[in-house]
Amino acid sequence: MMAYIVRRLWQILPTMAGVILLIFFLFNVVGGDPAYLLAGKISNPEQIANIRKQLGIDEPYWVQLWIFVKQVVTFDFGASWSTNEVVSHIFATRLPASLMIGIPLLALDTAITVAIALGVAYVRGSFTDRAAMITCTVAQSVSILVYIIIFQYVLAYKFGWFPVQGWGNGFFENLFKFAALPILIGLVVSLAPNIRLYRTFILDEVNQDYVRTARAKGLSENRVMFVHVLRNASIPIITNLMIQLPGLLVGLFLIERFFSVPGIGREVILAVERSDFPVIKAVTIYVALATMLANLAADLMYKAVDPRVELK
Amino acid sequence: MTAWPLNQHLTAQLRRVLTTCLIGGVGLGTFATLASLGGCGDSPQSAASASGASAASPVVSPDGKKVVRLNFPVAESGFDPATAHDLYSSIIIDGIFDTVLTYDYLAQPAKLVPKIASEMPTVEDGGKRWTIKLKKGVYFSPDPVFGGQKRELTANDIAYSFKRHYDDSIKPVWRFLTDGKIVGLNAWYEKGKKADGLAWDDPVEGLEVVDPYTLKITLTKPDFNFSYVLAHPAMAIVAREVVEKYPNDVQSHPVGSSAYYLKEWTRGQKIVLERNPNWRGGTWDFKASGKDPYDDVIVKAMEGKPLAVIDRVEFYPIEEAQTRWLAFKNKQLDVMNMPESFIKQALPGGKVSAELAAEGVRVQRLLDPEYTYTYFQWNDPVWGGTEPYKVALRRAAAMAINREEEIEIIRKGNAVRAEFLVPPGVAGHKADFASNISYNPALANALLDKFGYKKVADGYRNTPDGKPFVFKYTSTPIAVEREFDELYKKNMDAIGIRYEAEKEKFADSIKREKRCQIAIRGAAWIADYPDGDNFMQLLYSKNIGESNNGCYKSAVFDKLYEQSALLPDGPDRDKLYLEMQKQFEADTPWTLGVTRYRNQMIYPWVIGYKKHSVLLADYLYFDVNMANSGKGK
Repeated sequence: MMAYIVRRLWQILPTMAGVILLIFFLFNVVGGDPAYLLAGKISNPEQIANIRKQLGIDEPYWVQLWIFVKQVVTFDFGASWSTNEVVSHIFATRLPASLMIGIPLLALDTAITVAIALGVAYVRGSFTDRAAMITCTVAQSVSILVYIIIFQYVLAYKFGWFPVQGWGNGFFENLFKFAALPILIGLVVSLAPNIRLYRTFILDEVNQDYVRTARAKGLSENRVMFVHVLRNASIPIITNLMIQLPGLLVGLFLIERFFSVPGIGREVILAVERSDFPVIKAVTIYVALATMLANLAADLMYKAVDPRVELK
Repeated sequence: MTAWPLNQHLTAQLRRVLTTCLIGGVGLGTFATLASLGGCGDSPQSAASASGASAASPVVSPDGKKVVRLNFPVAESGFDPATAHDLYSSIIIDGIFDTVLTYDYLAQPAKLVPKIASEMPTVEDGGKRWTIKLKKGVYFSPDPVFGGQKRELTANDIAYSFKRHYDDSIKPVWRFLTDGKIVGLNAWYEKGKKADGLAWDDPVEGLEVVDPYTLKITLTKPDFNFSYVLAHPAMAIVAREVVEKYPNDVQSHPVGSSAYYLKEWTRGQKIVLERNPNWRGGTWDFKASGKDPYDDVIVKAMEGKPLAVIDRVEFYPIEEAQTRWLAFKNKQLDVMNMPESFIKQALPGGKVSAELAAEGVRVQRLLDPEYTYTYFQWNDPVWGGTEPYKVALRRAAAMAINREEEIEIIRKGNAVRAEFLVPPGVAGHKADFASNISYNPALANALLDKFGYKKVADGYRNTPDGKPFVFKYTSTPIAVEREFDELYKKNMDAIGIRYEAEKEKFADSIKREKRCQIAIRGAAWIADYPDGDNFMQLLYSKNIGESNNGCYKSAVFDKLYEQSALLPDGPDRDKLYLEMQKQFEADTPWTLGVTRYRNQMIYPWVIGYKKHSVLLADYLYFDVNMANSGKGK
């Protein structure tokens, strides 16, 4: 097991090197020249050149690439080009707000969708199943933006059940007052596709021979569904869950923006608008790293859930 | 409560937000909405409802502090006067830091008054020598760097603050305000560059500190607009100790001597200013402009009160229009610039909706000191140049663009057509001027026919020498620009000119623009200071590569501009401006677009509020009725 983990961790290095090269290529070839944005309303070529020098983007590409590699290795991405705020400080101060929405959302979403998926899979083909699937299909067809606009208007403004926007200073104030509606919207958006997906995973297992055998042995339906079926269906569910984990690092762009949540998602939008490459680069590297670690964690969880899985 | 036209709003919101989030790279919001312009006053019903002085702020204020809640539509960047490149940061800077001069709260057109100067500067030597006398007892707000002592602002601080714009390490963005204007300053900078470090203690001939309260500034040539530079928030005065204590991070450690200090800052989410304990005070004693009846209401309510009577000013950056609008309706904001997407609901027919009127909300509708324009690249082989057939082409295209349709459909009625090179509310504006170039596609067609732009088989015209050409319009890939693409294509089709939309990132456009590589592009300019020179310089050929983005070059215009730059605002300069306008129309290097309205929505508990054309820290000059507080929502 340990040898597998070490090997997988080593494999992160070439993958990360590829990510670094890709990001570097994209920023330098596709990305615009930030000096022109930072120069203000009236600037001359000398001032533009000075800004390029201050940012280090007048250096040869190989020097810039080496600086980037050092930044990745040391996790020190310097300061935002636009606000001069240290990038690590941006993450330290914005991530908590994003996680306060993202973690409860992921936990609630997983618990609720697995339970509903099990339920509708159990009554597969019934009116309930069909109604649930139609509802999910319709709900999935609606953009998140529509949910945000309607929920914000109706639930927050019209009914006054939640604040229209804002963020406080206390943990519980934020969790139960300001994060509640963003979490609710996130749930509504994610429930439909996840229920459909998990239902499919479960149905794949329900038709397996071992389930028929378990029923033939006279096991209760609860035991068949929650122990035998769920355990085997949990591998693709874990995969899906792990895919979503790195997303916690980038927050929920639109939700954070609409509800004025000082999270990392809103910061990423600002960074893109301002061509603030240090922030964008850091986010991209962190997400890439988190994705690789989440994949490793998923593999380890497969083994924990299903002993038949061999880690080679 | 009125019905909410959800579908209409959703469509607009979806298009806008999706475009913003998916495409990104908008990045140009920073200057797009600078200060608004006084002069239009309040709507009649607003003046009536403004008497609702009994209405109290819903803010719960247990300690009795007066609180006002304002908002920004774009997140701030930081509060260093020399590096802040966005309007919203400047609004904070203007409340924290002092400038030598400021603007009269009510005067129209904008009028300069002393801020830390004890009197208006003495101008001698034909506008070259400026003597500034400072007030005594102006202190910076407390900061550990001062070691517990009160730190008085002196003339040395002004000289230092002016020099800071030449410190390349901080990436200053406002150097153009003084570049080449102060004797010895550029030489001091060049010397520092060669020595690999600026000699801060070295004197600069043109920044002579006579005594702690007197500064003499010598300019390289007469410049009657220099007084506006002295009032610009970028020229706010910092303490050297603070800059040296927080090198490269004055943005988050702003220590100034004006009415407020930065009490709390959650970046991009909340900015709280509280009154500077060392604030020198002052009394509200502005006079009604005589041009706006509402000024009398303001004077009556505010006269004799202390300046900066509000204890706590809270700013909330809220990017999304719906969120801003609902937060305002929910009484979470006291004043708001109405988002364009909700204008029809909030101001049907230009009047406050019944729902808002019932809450006592009033509106101040005013034109921003700005305009939009579409330039033709002067170096372009088809569109640029002085040959009569090229002039005819530009003029025909200008006559084919239907600005009324732009105002009605794209701007939702929230703009007026720009006629003169100096916009309303800016010194040098000519209100009765009507441009020769108006919407007239028939005349445009006739002009093109006359100069040999013949239509060929595809129904479009070729150049007089028989080559196909296009109206290639460069813009960013955002929703509103697609609306312009549709409008311009329709307008160009009407005169037989092929239309091509070129999309690229804003930064790329600026880069190409400074190299004179863009054929046709739309731009906007908002006043850095309320003087016509700030607009006329856009066409001066020596500003090619800087602010003359169409690279227009006219010896006649240049000569007129150089003459005008030596004159103060007045009839002599107005004559020159009229000549420049005529030359501009003769050459048609641009087609002027529109000047946009700002609609400030104000709750009745905000007393004495009036949005000023260029004064940013207006929160020093109004009040909030906090009586009956305790019913916070």
